[in-house]
Amino acid sequence: MGQKIRISDFLKNTGRVDLRIRLIAGSAGVGREIENVEINRPGLTLAGFYDFFAYDRIQIFGLGEAAYMKQLSDEEKNTAYGKFFSYDVLCCIFTHDEEPDRLFIDYANNKNVPVFVTSRSTTRFVSIFTHLLDEVFSQSVTLHGTLVAVYGIGILILGKSGVGKSETALELIERGHRLVADDMVEVKKIDESLLMGSGSPILRHHMEIRGLGIINVRDIFGIGSVRNRKRVELVALLEEWDSAKEYDRLGMEEQMYSILDLDVPFLTIPVRPGRNIPIIIETAALNQRLKKMGIYSARELDEKIQNWIRSEKELNG
Amino acid sequence: MVERTVTVQSDAGVHARPAMMMVREAMKYPCKVSLIKGDIEADCKSIMSVLGLAIVSGTKLVIRADGEGENEVVGVLAGMIESNFVMESV
Repeated sequence: MGQKIRISDFLKNTGRVDLRIRLIAGSAGVGREIENVEINRPGLTLAGFYDFFAYDRIQIFGLGEAAYMKQLSDEEKNTAYGKFFSYDVLCCIFTHDEEPDRLFIDYANNKNVPVFVTSRSTTRFVSIFTHLLDEVFSQSVTLHGTLVAVYGIGILILGKSGVGKSETALELIERGHRLVADDMVEVKKIDESLLMGSGSPILRHHMEIRGLGIINVRDIFGIGSVRNRKRVELVALLEEWDSAKEYDRLGMEEQMYSILDLDVPFLTIPVRPGRNIPIIIETAALNQRLKKMGIYSARELDEKIQNWIRSEKELNG
Repeated sequence: MVERTVTVQSDAGVHARPAMMMVREAMKYPCKVSLIKGDIEADCKSIMSVLGLAIVSGTKLVIRADGEGENEVVGVLAGMIESNFVMESV
Protein backbone atom coordinates (compact mmCIF):
# COMPACT_ATOMS: atom_id res chain seq x y z
CA MET A 1 0.00 0.00 0.00
CA GLY A 2 1.07 3.59 -0.47
CA GLN A 3 1.33 6.23 2.15
CA LYS A 4 -1.16 7.03 4.89
CA ILE A 5 -3.23 10.13 4.56
CA ARG A 6 -4.80 12.37 7.12
CA ILE A 7 -8.20 13.95 6.88
CA SER A 8 -6.52 17.37 6.65
CA ASP A 9 -5.02 16.28 3.31
CA PHE A 10 -8.49 16.61 1.74
CA LEU A 11 -8.15 20.36 2.05
CA LYS A 12 -4.81 20.45 0.31
CA ASN A 13 -5.97 19.70 -3.22
CA THR A 14 -3.34 17.11 -3.87
CA GLY A 15 -5.19 15.68 -6.84
CA ARG A 16 -5.78 17.10 -10.27
CA VAL A 17 -9.29 18.23 -9.51
CA ASP A 18 -10.49 20.56 -6.80
CA LEU A 19 -12.75 18.73 -4.36
CA ARG A 20 -14.42 22.07 -3.54
CA ILE A 21 -14.82 21.22 0.10
CA ARG A 22 -14.64 23.38 3.18
CA LEU A 23 -14.36 22.42 6.83
CA ILE A 24 -17.19 23.66 9.02
CA ALA A 25 -16.76 21.72 12.27
CA GLY A 26 -14.54 19.35 14.19
CA SER A 27 -11.28 20.97 13.13
CA ALA A 28 -9.53 19.35 16.10
CA GLY A 29 -9.99 15.95 14.47
CA VAL A 30 -8.43 16.64 11.07
CA GLY A 31 -5.12 15.07 12.06
CA ARG A 32 -6.66 11.60 12.10
CA GLU A 33 -5.24 9.07 9.72
CA ILE A 34 -7.49 7.36 7.22
CA GLU A 35 -7.14 3.63 7.10
CA ASN A 36 -10.35 2.71 5.37
CA VAL A 37 -10.74 4.33 1.97
CA GLU A 38 -14.34 3.32 1.56
CA ILE A 39 -17.37 5.51 1.95
CA ASN A 40 -20.73 5.04 3.66
CA ARG A 41 -24.14 6.68 3.19
CA PRO A 42 -25.51 7.02 6.72
CA GLY A 43 -29.22 7.33 5.80
CA LEU A 44 -30.30 4.09 7.47
CA THR A 45 -28.16 4.80 10.49
CA LEU A 46 -29.75 8.20 11.09
CA ALA A 47 -33.15 6.58 10.89
CA GLY A 48 -32.17 4.27 13.72
CA PHE A 49 -30.83 1.13 12.05
CA TYR A 50 -27.39 0.67 13.55
CA ASP A 51 -26.57 -2.88 12.44
CA PHE A 52 -23.55 -2.89 10.13
CA PHE A 53 -22.87 0.80 10.75
CA ALA A 54 -19.51 1.39 9.05
CA TYR A 55 -18.57 4.32 11.30
CA ASP A 56 -14.86 4.05 10.39
CA ARG A 57 -15.57 4.99 6.80
CA ILE A 58 -16.07 8.42 5.32
CA GLN A 59 -19.73 9.34 5.83
CA ILE A 60 -21.37 11.03 2.84
CA PHE A 61 -24.58 12.97 3.54
CA GLY A 62 -26.50 13.60 0.33
CA LEU A 63 -29.76 15.41 -0.34
CA GLY A 64 -31.72 12.50 1.17
CA GLU A 65 -29.91 12.53 4.49
CA ALA A 66 -30.04 16.32 4.67
CA ALA A 67 -33.80 16.36 3.97
CA TYR A 68 -34.37 13.66 6.58
CA MET A 69 -32.44 15.63 9.19
CA LYS A 70 -34.38 18.81 8.41
CA GLN A 71 -37.78 17.29 9.14
CA LEU A 72 -36.74 15.88 12.54
CA SER A 73 -37.97 17.66 15.69
CA ASP A 74 -35.32 19.01 18.06
CA GLU A 75 -35.92 16.12 20.41
CA GLU A 76 -35.60 13.55 17.64
CA LYS A 77 -32.43 15.25 16.42
CA ASN A 78 -30.92 15.00 19.87
CA THR A 79 -31.58 11.27 20.04
CA ALA A 80 -30.44 10.60 16.46
CA TYR A 81 -27.24 12.66 16.66
CA GLY A 82 -26.47 11.43 20.18
CA LYS A 83 -26.57 7.84 18.99
CA PHE A 84 -24.73 8.63 15.75
CA PHE A 85 -21.86 10.38 17.50
CA SER A 86 -21.63 7.72 20.21
CA TYR A 87 -19.69 5.78 17.56
CA ASP A 88 -16.14 6.76 16.71
CA VAL A 89 -17.18 8.39 13.42
CA LEU A 90 -14.26 9.15 11.09
CA CYS A 91 -15.59 12.22 9.28
CA CYS A 92 -18.74 13.55 7.61
CA ILE A 93 -19.12 15.21 4.22
CA PHE A 94 -22.30 17.02 3.16
CA THR A 95 -22.87 17.43 -0.58
CA HIS A 96 -25.01 19.96 -2.52
CA ASP A 97 -23.87 22.74 -0.15
CA GLU A 98 -26.29 21.44 2.48
CA GLU A 99 -25.00 22.71 5.81
CA PRO A 100 -26.13 20.64 8.80
CA ASP A 101 -28.00 22.25 11.70
CA ARG A 102 -26.38 23.80 14.77
CA LEU A 103 -26.96 20.74 16.95
CA PHE A 104 -25.13 18.45 14.51
CA ILE A 105 -22.19 20.86 14.42
CA ASP A 106 -22.10 21.04 18.23
CA TYR A 107 -22.01 17.26 18.49
CA ALA A 108 -19.26 17.09 15.86
CA ASN A 109 -17.20 19.75 17.62
CA ASN A 110 -17.62 17.95 20.93
CA LYS A 111 -16.46 14.63 19.53
CA ASN A 112 -13.84 16.20 17.24
CA VAL A 113 -15.37 14.69 14.13
CA PRO A 114 -14.47 16.79 11.08
CA VAL A 115 -17.47 17.92 9.04
CA PHE A 116 -17.05 19.14 5.47
CA VAL A 117 -19.44 20.71 2.99
CA THR A 118 -19.00 20.47 -0.75
CA SER A 119 -20.83 22.31 -3.50
CA ARG A 120 -20.68 19.25 -5.75
CA SER A 121 -23.48 16.75 -6.22
CA THR A 122 -23.21 13.42 -4.41
CA THR A 123 -22.48 11.26 -7.45
CA ARG A 124 -19.94 13.67 -8.88
CA PHE A 125 -18.27 14.14 -5.51
CA VAL A 126 -18.07 10.42 -4.77
CA SER A 127 -16.55 9.70 -8.17
CA ILE A 128 -13.93 12.43 -7.85
CA PHE A 129 -13.24 11.54 -4.26
CA THR A 130 -12.75 7.81 -4.83
CA HIS A 131 -10.47 8.61 -7.74
CA LEU A 132 -8.40 10.88 -5.50
CA LEU A 133 -8.26 8.33 -2.69
CA ASP A 134 -7.23 5.58 -5.12
CA GLU A 135 -4.44 7.81 -6.29
CA VAL A 136 -3.19 8.63 -2.81
CA PHE A 137 -3.38 5.03 -1.70
CA SER A 138 -1.82 3.69 -4.88
CA GLN A 139 1.46 1.81 -4.83
CA SER A 140 4.48 3.97 -5.46
CA VAL A 141 8.19 3.62 -5.92
CA THR A 142 11.00 6.17 -6.03
CA LEU A 143 13.41 5.65 -8.91
CA HIS A 144 16.75 7.23 -9.61
CA GLY A 145 16.29 8.75 -13.02
CA THR A 146 15.08 11.76 -14.93
CA LEU A 147 11.58 12.14 -16.28
CA VAL A 148 10.99 14.29 -19.34
CA ALA A 149 7.97 14.81 -21.58
CA VAL A 150 9.12 14.63 -25.19
CA TYR A 151 6.50 15.25 -27.89
CA GLY A 152 3.87 14.26 -25.35
CA ILE A 153 5.54 10.98 -24.40
CA GLY A 154 6.76 10.64 -20.81
CA ILE A 155 10.27 9.19 -20.97
CA LEU A 156 12.04 7.98 -17.87
CA ILE A 157 15.79 8.21 -18.43
CA LEU A 158 17.70 5.78 -16.25
CA GLY A 159 21.42 5.18 -15.89
CA LYS A 160 24.32 5.29 -13.48
CA SER A 161 25.27 8.61 -11.96
CA GLY A 162 27.57 10.49 -14.29
CA VAL A 163 26.34 8.86 -17.50
CA GLY A 164 24.68 12.11 -18.57
CA LYS A 165 20.98 11.86 -17.66
CA SER A 166 20.71 15.45 -16.53
CA GLU A 167 22.75 16.78 -19.46
CA THR A 168 20.51 14.88 -21.86
CA ALA A 169 17.44 16.31 -20.16
CA LEU A 170 18.94 19.79 -20.32
CA GLU A 171 19.41 19.59 -24.04
CA LEU A 172 15.90 18.21 -24.47
CA ILE A 173 14.54 21.17 -22.50
CA GLU A 174 16.58 23.49 -24.66
CA ARG A 175 14.95 21.90 -27.68
CA GLY A 176 11.51 22.74 -26.33
CA HIS A 177 10.62 19.63 -24.33
CA ARG A 178 9.62 19.56 -20.70
CA LEU A 179 11.23 18.47 -17.47
CA VAL A 180 9.10 16.67 -14.91
CA ALA A 181 11.70 15.57 -12.38
CA ASP A 182 15.44 15.18 -12.23
CA ASP A 183 17.32 12.48 -10.36
CA MET A 184 14.46 11.36 -8.13
CA VAL A 185 11.22 10.31 -9.70
CA GLU A 186 8.24 9.06 -7.78
CA VAL A 187 6.20 6.66 -9.89
CA LYS A 188 2.67 5.79 -8.83
CA LYS A 189 0.52 3.00 -10.16
CA ILE A 190 -2.76 4.84 -10.39
CA ASP A 191 -4.51 2.18 -12.33
CA GLU A 192 -3.65 -1.26 -13.71
CA SER A 193 -2.55 0.44 -16.92
CA LEU A 194 -1.28 3.81 -15.78
CA LEU A 195 2.02 4.80 -14.21
CA MET A 196 2.24 8.45 -13.22
CA GLY A 197 5.61 10.04 -12.53
CA SER A 198 6.30 13.19 -10.58
CA GLY A 199 9.13 14.80 -8.69
CA SER A 200 9.65 15.48 -5.03
CA PRO A 201 7.88 18.72 -4.09
CA ILE A 202 10.99 20.22 -2.51
CA LEU A 203 13.25 19.52 -5.47
CA ARG A 204 10.65 20.47 -8.03
CA HIS A 205 12.22 21.52 -11.34
CA HIS A 206 15.72 21.87 -9.98
CA MET A 207 18.59 20.08 -11.63
CA GLU A 208 22.20 19.49 -10.88
CA ILE A 209 24.51 19.98 -13.83
CA ARG A 210 28.12 19.12 -13.16
CA GLY A 211 30.19 22.23 -13.50
CA LEU A 212 27.23 24.55 -12.97
CA GLY A 213 25.78 23.25 -9.75
CA ILE A 214 22.08 23.42 -8.99
CA ILE A 215 19.87 25.30 -11.43
CA ASN A 216 16.17 26.09 -11.43
CA VAL A 217 14.88 25.00 -14.82
CA ARG A 218 11.60 26.86 -14.50
CA ASP A 219 13.32 30.14 -13.73
CA ILE A 220 15.86 29.78 -16.52
CA PHE A 221 13.75 28.32 -19.33
CA GLY A 222 10.29 29.46 -18.30
CA ILE A 223 7.06 27.84 -17.26
CA GLY A 224 6.71 26.18 -20.66
CA SER A 225 9.76 24.04 -19.97
CA VAL A 226 8.35 22.15 -17.00
CA ARG A 227 5.38 20.13 -15.91
CA ASN A 228 4.52 18.59 -12.56
CA ARG A 229 3.51 15.10 -13.58
CA LYS A 230 3.51 12.91 -16.62
CA ARG A 231 2.51 9.40 -17.47
CA VAL A 232 5.57 7.14 -17.86
CA GLU A 233 5.30 5.59 -21.32
CA LEU A 234 8.89 4.74 -22.22
CA VAL A 235 12.00 3.85 -20.24
CA ALA A 236 15.40 4.66 -21.75
CA LEU A 237 18.49 3.29 -20.05
CA LEU A 238 21.68 5.18 -20.86
CA GLU A 239 24.81 3.15 -20.47
CA GLU A 240 28.41 3.46 -21.49
CA TRP A 241 29.06 1.76 -24.80
CA ASP A 242 30.18 -1.77 -24.12
CA SER A 243 31.71 -3.30 -27.24
CA ALA A 244 31.16 -6.79 -25.84
CA LYS A 245 27.41 -6.24 -25.57
CA GLU A 246 24.87 -6.79 -28.32
CA TYR A 247 22.61 -3.80 -28.83
CA ASP A 248 19.27 -3.99 -30.54
CA ARG A 249 19.87 -3.33 -34.21
CA LEU A 250 16.41 -4.07 -35.58
CA GLY A 251 13.87 -2.98 -33.00
CA MET A 252 11.53 -5.76 -34.15
CA GLU A 253 10.64 -6.91 -30.66
CA GLU A 254 9.66 -4.51 -27.97
CA GLN A 255 11.58 -4.92 -24.76
CA MET A 256 9.83 -4.21 -21.51
CA TYR A 257 10.86 -2.72 -18.18
CA SER A 258 8.79 -3.59 -15.16
CA ILE A 259 7.77 -0.83 -12.75
CA LEU A 260 5.41 -1.88 -9.94
CA ASP A 261 4.58 -5.01 -11.96
CA LEU A 262 3.52 -3.00 -15.00
CA ASP A 263 5.45 -3.38 -18.24
CA VAL A 264 6.71 -0.23 -19.94
CA PRO A 265 8.45 -0.24 -23.36
CA PHE A 266 12.19 -0.19 -22.76
CA LEU A 267 15.24 0.88 -24.75
CA THR A 268 18.92 0.60 -23.96
CA ILE A 269 20.82 3.50 -25.45
CA PRO A 270 24.59 3.13 -25.55
CA VAL A 271 26.43 6.38 -24.91
CA ARG A 272 29.74 7.27 -26.48
CA PRO A 273 31.32 10.44 -27.79
CA GLY A 274 29.73 11.53 -31.02
CA ARG A 275 26.33 10.05 -30.34
CA ASN A 276 23.77 12.76 -29.86
CA ILE A 277 21.63 11.24 -27.14
CA PRO A 278 18.93 13.96 -26.99
CA ILE A 279 18.19 13.51 -30.68
CA ILE A 280 18.07 9.74 -30.27
CA ILE A 281 15.61 10.19 -27.39
CA GLU A 282 13.49 12.59 -29.45
CA THR A 283 13.36 10.06 -32.25
CA ALA A 284 12.51 7.30 -29.79
CA ALA A 285 9.57 9.41 -28.56
CA LEU A 286 8.28 9.92 -32.08
CA ASN A 287 8.76 6.24 -32.87
CA GLN A 288 6.84 5.40 -29.70
CA ARG A 289 3.98 7.58 -30.91
CA LEU A 290 3.95 5.71 -34.20
CA LYS A 291 3.86 2.41 -32.34
CA LYS A 292 0.91 3.65 -30.29
CA MET A 293 -0.86 4.26 -33.59
CA GLY A 294 0.00 0.72 -34.68
CA ILE A 295 2.85 1.58 -37.02
CA TYR A 296 5.98 -0.49 -36.45
CA SER A 297 8.73 0.70 -38.79
CA ALA A 298 11.04 -2.28 -38.37
CA ARG A 299 8.26 -4.82 -38.93
CA GLU A 300 6.96 -2.93 -41.96
CA LEU A 301 10.38 -2.84 -43.57
CA ASP A 302 10.76 -6.52 -42.90
CA GLU A 303 7.40 -7.21 -44.55
CA LYS A 304 8.39 -5.15 -47.60
CA ILE A 305 11.63 -7.08 -47.91
CA GLN A 306 9.88 -10.41 -47.54
CA ASN A 307 7.35 -9.44 -50.22
CA TRP A 308 10.14 -8.36 -52.49
CA ILE A 309 12.00 -11.65 -51.93
CA ARG A 310 8.83 -13.56 -52.71
CA SER A 311 8.14 -11.63 -55.94
CA GLU A 312 11.76 -12.01 -57.05
CA LYS A 313 11.46 -15.73 -56.51
CA GLU A 314 8.31 -15.88 -58.62
CA LEU A 315 9.94 -13.88 -61.41
CA ASN A 316 13.05 -15.99 -61.46
CA GLY A 317 11.60 -19.33 -60.82
CA MET B 1 26.55 -5.51 0.62
CA VAL B 2 27.12 -3.47 3.76
CA GLU B 3 24.48 -1.57 5.68
CA ARG B 4 24.55 0.68 8.68
CA THR B 5 21.77 2.62 10.38
CA VAL B 6 22.52 6.07 11.73
CA THR B 7 20.45 8.88 13.16
CA VAL B 8 21.11 12.40 11.95
CA GLN B 9 21.74 14.66 14.96
CA SER B 10 22.83 17.82 13.21
CA ASP B 11 20.30 20.60 13.97
CA ALA B 12 20.47 21.98 10.47
CA GLY B 13 19.65 18.59 8.90
CA VAL B 14 21.19 17.67 5.57
CA HIS B 15 21.07 20.87 3.55
CA ALA B 16 23.09 21.65 0.43
CA ARG B 17 26.56 21.66 1.94
CA PRO B 18 26.41 18.44 3.98
CA ALA B 19 24.71 16.80 1.01
CA MET B 20 27.59 17.85 -1.18
CA MET B 21 30.11 16.50 1.34
CA MET B 22 28.41 13.12 1.33
CA VAL B 23 28.11 12.97 -2.45
CA ARG B 24 31.73 13.97 -2.89
CA GLU B 25 32.79 11.22 -0.50
CA ALA B 26 30.57 8.59 -2.15
CA MET B 27 31.93 9.50 -5.59
CA LYS B 28 35.40 8.42 -4.50
CA TYR B 29 34.30 4.78 -4.41
CA PRO B 30 33.33 2.68 -7.39
CA CYS B 31 30.56 0.83 -5.55
CA LYS B 32 26.88 1.69 -5.55
CA VAL B 33 26.07 3.80 -2.48
CA SER B 34 22.57 4.63 -1.35
CA LEU B 35 20.85 6.34 1.53
CA ILE B 36 17.53 4.94 2.62
CA LYS B 37 14.93 6.88 4.54
CA GLY B 38 11.77 4.92 5.22
CA ASP B 39 10.93 3.27 1.93
CA ILE B 40 12.71 5.82 -0.24
CA GLU B 41 16.14 4.93 -1.54
CA ALA B 42 18.34 7.73 -2.85
CA ASP B 43 21.55 7.48 -4.84
CA CYS B 44 24.25 8.91 -2.61
CA LYS B 45 26.22 9.97 -5.69
CA SER B 46 23.53 12.44 -6.73
CA ILE B 47 23.12 15.76 -4.92
CA MET B 48 19.48 16.10 -5.97
CA SER B 49 18.67 12.62 -4.70
CA VAL B 50 20.25 13.26 -1.32
CA LEU B 51 18.54 16.65 -0.97
CA GLY B 52 15.27 15.11 -2.06
CA LEU B 53 15.26 12.83 0.97
CA ALA B 54 14.58 15.91 3.12
CA ILE B 55 16.74 14.70 5.98
CA VAL B 56 16.09 16.64 9.17
CA SER B 57 17.52 16.28 12.63
CA GLY B 58 16.33 13.00 14.10
CA THR B 59 15.92 11.23 10.76
CA LYS B 60 16.97 7.58 10.78
CA LEU B 61 19.00 6.70 7.72
CA VAL B 62 20.32 3.44 6.39
CA ILE B 63 23.59 3.75 4.51
CA ARG B 64 23.92 0.92 2.05
CA ALA B 65 26.87 0.17 -0.20
CA ASP B 66 27.35 -2.67 -2.62
CA GLY B 67 30.59 -3.39 -4.45
CA GLU B 68 34.22 -2.43 -4.27
CA GLY B 69 35.03 -0.30 -1.21
CA GLU B 70 31.66 -0.90 0.45
CA ASN B 71 33.06 -1.22 3.97
CA GLU B 72 35.15 1.93 3.78
CA VAL B 73 32.48 4.14 2.25
CA VAL B 74 29.83 3.14 4.77
CA GLY B 75 32.30 3.80 7.60
CA VAL B 76 33.27 7.21 6.28
CA LEU B 77 29.68 8.34 5.63
CA ALA B 78 28.46 7.10 9.00
CA GLY B 79 31.37 8.96 10.61
CA MET B 80 30.39 12.15 8.80
CA ILE B 81 26.79 11.94 9.91
CA GLU B 82 27.66 11.02 13.48
CA SER B 83 30.13 13.88 13.78
CA ASN B 84 27.46 16.31 12.49
CA PHE B 85 29.52 17.03 9.38
CA VAL B 86 32.07 19.06 11.31
CA MET B 87 35.10 17.21 10.09
CA GLU B 88 36.28 17.41 6.55
CA SER B 89 36.62 14.11 4.75
CA VAL B 90 38.59 11.53 6.72
